[in-house]
Amino acid sequence: MPGAAVGGMTDGAPVLAMRGICKRFGATRALDDVSLELRRGEVHALVGENGAGKSTLIKVMTGIYPPDEGEVLVDGEPVSLRSAADAQRLGIGAIYQEPLIFPDMSVAENIFIGHQDRGRVVRWRQMCADAEAILARLDVHIDPRMPASGLPVATQQAIEIAKAISLDVRVLIMDEPTAALSAHEVERLFRQVRQLRDSGVAVLFISHRLDEVFEIADRVSVFRDGRHVSTDARDDVTRPRLIAAMVGRQMSDFYARHEHHPGEVILRVRDLGRTGKFAGVSFDLRRGEVFGLAGLVGAGRTDIALALFGIAPAETGTIELDGRSVEIATPRQALDHGIAYLSEDRRHVGLSLPQSVTANITLPSLRRYVSRLGLVDGAAERSAAEGFRRQLSIRTAGLSQPVGLLSGGNQQKTMLAKWLNTEPALLILDEPTRGIDVGAKADVHRIIDDLARSGIAIVLISSDLPEVLAVSDRVLVLREGEQTGLFDRAEATQERVMTAAVGVA
Amino acid sequence: MSTAADVAHLDGARSRPGRTAVWIRPERVKELSLLGVIVVALLVFGFLVDDYFSGRFFNRVTTSVAITAVLAVAQTMVIVTRNIDLSVGSIVGVTAYLTGQFASSNPSASPAVAIAIAVGLGALLGAINGVIVAYGRVPAIITTLGTLAIYRSWLISHGEGKTITADSLPSWVVDLPTRTVFSIGDLDVRVVFAVVIVIIAVLQIAMQRLRWGRRLYAIGSNPEAAAQAGLPTRRLVLGAFVACGTLSGFAGFLFLSRFGNITVVAGRGLELDSVAAAVVGGVSVLGGSGTLVGAFLGALLIDVLDQSLVRVPQVSEFWRNAILGALILAAVIADVVIGRRFRRRWSAEARPHTKVDASADAPDTTKVPALTGSEQTGEGTDA
Amino acid sequence: MPDWARARSWELLLAVILLGTIVYNATQSPVYLDVDNFVNLFRLSIEKVIVAVAMTFVIINGEIDLSVASVMAFAACVLAAAHESGVPFGLAIVIALAAAASAGFVQGMVVARTGISSLVVTLAGLIGFRGAARILLEDRSVGDFPGWFGDLGRADFLGPMPFALVLFLVLLVVGGVILHRTSFGRRVYVIGNNADVARFSGIDVARVKLLLFTTSGLVAGVAGVLFAARLGSVRANIGEGFELDIITMVLLGGVSIFGGSGTLLGVALAICIVLNLRNGLGLANVEANTQTGVIGALLIASVLAQNLLDRLPLRRREVEAEA
Repeated sequence: MPGAAVGGMTDGAPVLAMRGICKRFGATRALDDVSLELRRGEVHALVGENGAGKSTLIKVMTGIYPPDEGEVLVDGEPVSLRSAADAQRLGIGAIYQEPLIFPDMSVAENIFIGHQDRGRVVRWRQMCADAEAILARLDVHIDPRMPASGLPVATQQAIEIAKAISLDVRVLIMDEPTAALSAHEVERLFRQVRQLRDSGVAVLFISHRLDEVFEIADRVSVFRDGRHVSTDARDDVTRPRLIAAMVGRQMSDFYARHEHHPGEVILRVRDLGRTGKFAGVSFDLRRGEVFGLAGLVGAGRTDIALALFGIAPAETGTIELDGRSVEIATPRQALDHGIAYLSEDRRHVGLSLPQSVTANITLPSLRRYVSRLGLVDGAAERSAAEGFRRQLSIRTAGLSQPVGLLSGGNQQKTMLAKWLNTEPALLILDEPTRGIDVGAKADVHRIIDDLARSGIAIVLISSDLPEVLAVSDRVLVLREGEQTGLFDRAEATQERVMTAAVGVA
Repeated sequence: MSTAADVAHLDGARSRPGRTAVWIRPERVKELSLLGVIVVALLVFGFLVDDYFSGRFFNRVTTSVAITAVLAVAQTMVIVTRNIDLSVGSIVGVTAYLTGQFASSNPSASPAVAIAIAVGLGALLGAINGVIVAYGRVPAIITTLGTLAIYRSWLISHGEGKTITADSLPSWVVDLPTRTVFSIGDLDVRVVFAVVIVIIAVLQIAMQRLRWGRRLYAIGSNPEAAAQAGLPTRRLVLGAFVACGTLSGFAGFLFLSRFGNITVVAGRGLELDSVAAAVVGGVSVLGGSGTLVGAFLGALLIDVLDQSLVRVPQVSEFWRNAILGALILAAVIADVVIGRRFRRRWSAEARPHTKVDASADAPDTTKVPALTGSEQTGEGTDA
Repeated sequence: MPDWARARSWELLLAVILLGTIVYNATQSPVYLDVDNFVNLFRLSIEKVIVAVAMTFVIINGEIDLSVASVMAFAACVLAAAHESGVPFGLAIVIALAAAASAGFVQGMVVARTGISSLVVTLAGLIGFRGAARILLEDRSVGDFPGWFGDLGRADFLGPMPFALVLFLVLLVVGGVILHRTSFGRRVYVIGNNADVARFSGIDVARVKLLLFTTSGLVAGVAGVLFAARLGSVRANIGEGFELDIITMVLLGGVSIFGGSGTLLGVALAICIVLNLRNGLGLANVEANTQTGVIGALLIASVLAQNLLDRLPLRRREVEAEA
């Protein structure tokens, strides 16, 4: 039966141990003499800044990168881990931020496709029954014959977990699993994780969200600069100490911001709506103001942004810019009106990964670098890019480097540079600090503060409630596409905002 | 005051306890609608043309569709893995010609040997394609463009301009197209057609019920996920190309027996016919979906239209291609429209944000048709 | 290896191969290094190479146009049919070009608005427009064009070069400037790379695609008209199979089939290689079809070589960018 528990469940014996692992890429040491132990029946959180070595570690554990030095032991025995098949055989599985599913195939097939032991012939009925059973245990109730595409991310993730369970994994690595989930889905995920733990699986839980780490983890390890810095039981460590270990110095999550003095109204939105996404949204936005949009995932915040940016225009309501009524039907129109949008989906929509940093920065504003004959002025481009590199401290080997080679935090900064280069009057930032480390996060907050002080109106969409509260001047709360609260900085508290977001007393 | 229902409503993930009453797989819908279109076409032509529903018409269609049906099925096996095989026309030419040469110089050899040669040769040529694509990591469209030229040029050199003539072939080869399993009046169920139907049925079952077949779909559906799931992707892709080559070899044999006179340019252009039939049959060039039965129906529809238009006096034969082109376009557009409607019905509602919602209705631009052999991972990605 | 060399490694490889073929051919045949021979090199394939320039844009944009040969024939047949019906020849040319551009426009509209794969749409176009050509000319051959038209197609225009060759060179230069130096060219690359990023950066993706397909059709039309001029007569089946040669030239030129990369320089080098091979092998009495086989092998070999080069340490720049 799939997912049967292993005997000796939570006796704490190390199921997977890494000793002295080294991994180099050219001159960079991604992992430097790393030792880590995962015990049976525990949730082991791994935190660290971007560039700390977490992804490399995952790839070594799943057999994608063989280590240059060091050994991996499973149940105390050294093993050879050189391919994905090896990892699967040893019972090591991984789930990533974006679920890897087969969109055209049914849910049941998604779960069982990789199985070597189920024989040549597919027994459909049995497979569907088994799939339904595993998913039910994960509190997911869907028809396993459904095609996997079009399902919500949380359900797709559950399918991945079901896959892992069906393979009887002993170690499950979860890389930023809550990044795209709503609060309710996170709770369900945690229940699923606890179930796994109680059945003897060692869960390696990688996350930037320290709140979640404290809720779910049994032990917490910190990585920094490719080294394993510390491992503590959850109860033996505090949040500030973790941050200090991650960053190597004392700091808070957020940049202490300056006082803002918002100017006149630049944007007036009345009764904005788009069928199925949001309705009746009205607010004013002033120059130099940081306006937070809070709400659960799916509440419609990004949809409003897309409407303001012309990707998915609003169907009803009015938008006024500087007192004039405008219609924004395409991104080009939005840009011409001085509106820029930094998308939450950096990798697929935000940057052209194989192209240079310079080319990415100048892309939406190419018109400015075009001479009379229509030719592009390369020198002007480069100097603009150089300016942003300094202003935003973008770390890159060179401006002509493909931007795909940069770290997540620096990619984010490049994206920011790209939109700042359009000289917007209104800048919409959608999850600007998601998936980046504490140090870079503080940088972004500082930049937002500077921008606000220079008179740019900023809309900040973030699922990180403390961040929204710390950075915004006012907060608009959405619930299922409807506006449920509008708070000033002074009156916005976590409880009030949460209540408005969730609708629960 | 919250209730469980409220909370469940919030996250947009609609939990639906129990099963929907009737489950119709998307592929079935496509196949049924194709069948429906064929029936409608037959009715329309039955109205326009006198004596349309004759046994002779049935015979003509079944004879001519046999070859393209086999090729459509062969092509489909490759397309579902997100590849393409443009060399099938050349493979047909080579196998038809060489088998013809063999048969004419060894008239006493058993039919099984001749068929084995055609099929084996096709498998070999398919294997060459597969190795270059799967192990050499050269994209399929490039590889098979190259082998299309290489195989054809080899054949032309080898043939030295000589034609295999029907007279030189043993009678069993030439008579094969007319042999029947049984007849109902004027209408013959021909051996060739019956064999082709059986082959397609067997392969369809294999693709739906054998793990090997399901994995071919998986590779095309998401190559990255397939690799991560530990599927032997290279071997599977090689297998798909070998299967395609084998079937093309068989089609080559059918070609030989049907036409008898084989020139060195035999089979040229068949690759496009096979892709067209597959596309009309609902096979997506992006891979991961579409059935062999669908491809067969696509070939059948095209052939029925082709043969029927000939018989409509008002339509000159020179209109055939133009109409065929329009048909392919119509079939694909219909497929897309129907597909979108069904996808909306099946997908859970109010999806939480993942990527841009606007692209929920737009086609998946991250998939590229007919590719393999290259990693699609962006370097320095986040995960 | 210096950065610029690494980035242009494919073009360097092609240049080396080209040099190799020139040297080989020169040693094989005394006639080879003659200027007239150089011109002749292009003469027989000039229509294909003209279309290859337009095809480069389309493929870099992440699409493909399989219908070019059929549109070429379609334009030639429109010209011939119009001429047959007594339409003044100049006007007939204009009509033929308009027809070809419309053919491209229609396909472009379908691709841009419905998002159906261009592979499928232009496959339908390949079949459909060949059919349209057949409807016009059925199985007849039409010729009897004005003298000046034949001269345009065959006679020397600028020095020893025929008009078509001059046109090709002009297109190559203009195309090169547009693709590599203008913002439009930049947009073509970005869309080919990632259409969503382009859209989010304010680029009107649909308009660019529409423009490219229409131009592709127009250029195919020009090639068709020039083909008619050169041949002196037109049948509905002319140019059959040309699309494969054209695509081969572009892909050999280092343009990625997935879009987003490649240069016109590379395509120009690839064209020279292909034509040289054909010419040289022909002078050495190698048959035309074997030449085709050699070119097919060259196409595969060049991608294989590139894959191998990618794996060598001097190319590996893998940096673990994230942890």
